[in-house]
Amino acid sequence: MTTSTLTPPVTERKSAGQTLAKLLWGTPLRAKLFAGVLILLVWQVGVGLFAANFVAKPIGVIMAFPSVITNPLFLQASSSTLLAVLQGLAIALVAGTVVGVAMGRMKVFDRALNFYVSGLYTMPMIALLPLITIWFGYSSDARMATIIFAAFFSIVINARDGARAVPPEFLEVCKAYRAPARYVWFDITVFSSLPYLIAGVRLAAGRALVGAVIAEFFVSLNGVGMFVLSNARSFKHNEAVVGVFALVAFGLMFELIINWVMKRYFPWYRRETHSD
Amino acid sequence: MNSFLEYVNSDRRAVRYGTVILSLLAGAVIWELVGLSFNQAIMAPLIGNEDHPGTLPRLYRYLFDDEEYILSLIQSIQLFTTGFVLALVVAIPSGIILARMITLRIALETYILALYVTPMIALIPFILSILGFDFWPKVLVVYLFAFFPILYNTLEGARSVKPELLEVAKSFRSSEFAIWRDILVPYTLPYALTGIRQAAGRALVGMVAAEFFLSTSGLGEELITASRNFDMAGVLATILVITCLGVSFMRIAQAFEQKYAGWRGLDR
Repeated sequence: MTTSTLTPPVTERKSAGQTLAKLLWGTPLRAKLFAGVLILLVWQVGVGLFAANFVAKPIGVIMAFPSVITNPLFLQASSSTLLAVLQGLAIALVAGTVVGVAMGRMKVFDRALNFYVSGLYTMPMIALLPLITIWFGYSSDARMATIIFAAFFSIVINARDGARAVPPEFLEVCKAYRAPARYVWFDITVFSSLPYLIAGVRLAAGRALVGAVIAEFFVSLNGVGMFVLSNARSFKHNEAVVGVFALVAFGLMFELIINWVMKRYFPWYRRETHSD
Repeated sequence: MNSFLEYVNSDRRAVRYGTVILSLLAGAVIWELVGLSFNQAIMAPLIGNEDHPGTLPRLYRYLFDDEEYILSLIQSIQLFTTGFVLALVVAIPSGIILARMITLRIALETYILALYVTPMIALIPFILSILGFDFWPKVLVVYLFAFFPILYNTLEGARSVKPELLEVAKSFRSSEFAIWRDILVPYTLPYALTGIRQAAGRALVGMVAAEFFLSTSGLGEELITASRNFDMAGVLATILVITCLGVSFMRIAQAFEQKYAGWRGLDR
């Protein structure tokens, strides 16, 4: 008797809580949105209560967003950074693939260059900046050199791993049909190491972007990094945060472009887990 | 021609070591010649003479005959380890907690990925103007560089814990502690170690960046001072020291990875 009278209200209360919970984080999308709103709220309130007035708050960032996006200075800065990164990546991709494939296919190159490649790959590019500024001056050449240096070695290492992982059957068929060397290199090795190359380009894109920003900080060169730095220095943090978001957007854009190119032109490409 | 190619690509011991030694020698000779033929404000040779101070003598003097430099080195290592250990201590438990609380994981995953791809270097101006020139803002920079690779990879590992393992544990009424000890930690550790290796490289960049752009100190300061004085031997010697530091951090992380993640095989 007591149980029968007690149970209905209990389940009802439980279900009210459950519906609320379901409404807020019932599906993945809702959970993500809820968490996002919560993070923004904590940011807004926390900064409002504990930090100085100039520190960026979400509402301020949203208010600053349209004026920054339409600011010709910002557009010029971002196109300058983006163009430099794309150019540097293209140069690093071509040169890195050639060196990497040579290292993967010819043991003599691998033995001769492995020390230099892995040493320079682990060398933090930021430590080279003083050297680069002395060699290339305080100019956009210094930024380009930093980008290429940042991107080159991760592409070489991935291209080498890819060239080593060419299925031996392909090479045997080539040998059996007496295929000339250029077929073996450009039609078999490069294409079959494509997944590794893509992983290398992904890694290189991130490193190149970081390299560009560091170089802009160090050389005081017009670009997104400098935009962030100068706005943060003049205590316009809201505008500067928009610049940071632009950098994140560039990173994601590279990823999307790579995915689109792969889907469009290399549908046979199997997805590899990323490597470092 | 072909037989020559075959010979240099063969696996004979003499060829293997010969190539490496020849290439190192060639590199050293080229470095020396370039250094001697350029102005000493542009490039320093490896060994050098009176007019062109060499990199190796400078390195020797720095390491064995220069207390200030050793202090800088210790300062840098201190900065690195403080930030890195803090990142480690926070990131790994958070990653595993996220593995246990699936709703929380799904909710936060996207944001963690977004922060993982954010170039942390862009946050340095904010840290500078909010927190100033102390030691701890620099630690925060190293921490930020190291934290997200570790968290992201730990999370990735936690996601791949086989649900059957957890189900079996649950049906045998295993305690939460036993689940952590026997399933979650051993399973996520290899992934976490991959993250730690990645983070070691990034944190080194963070360390130098913090020493450049926040209050200059440590090896970053040595580097900047040397380059302002056009003391190329000093610049190159410091770059060598930083690289050796990076390589040894990586090696330590790799040794741990091999020890605790060997069973995972070569799939990643």
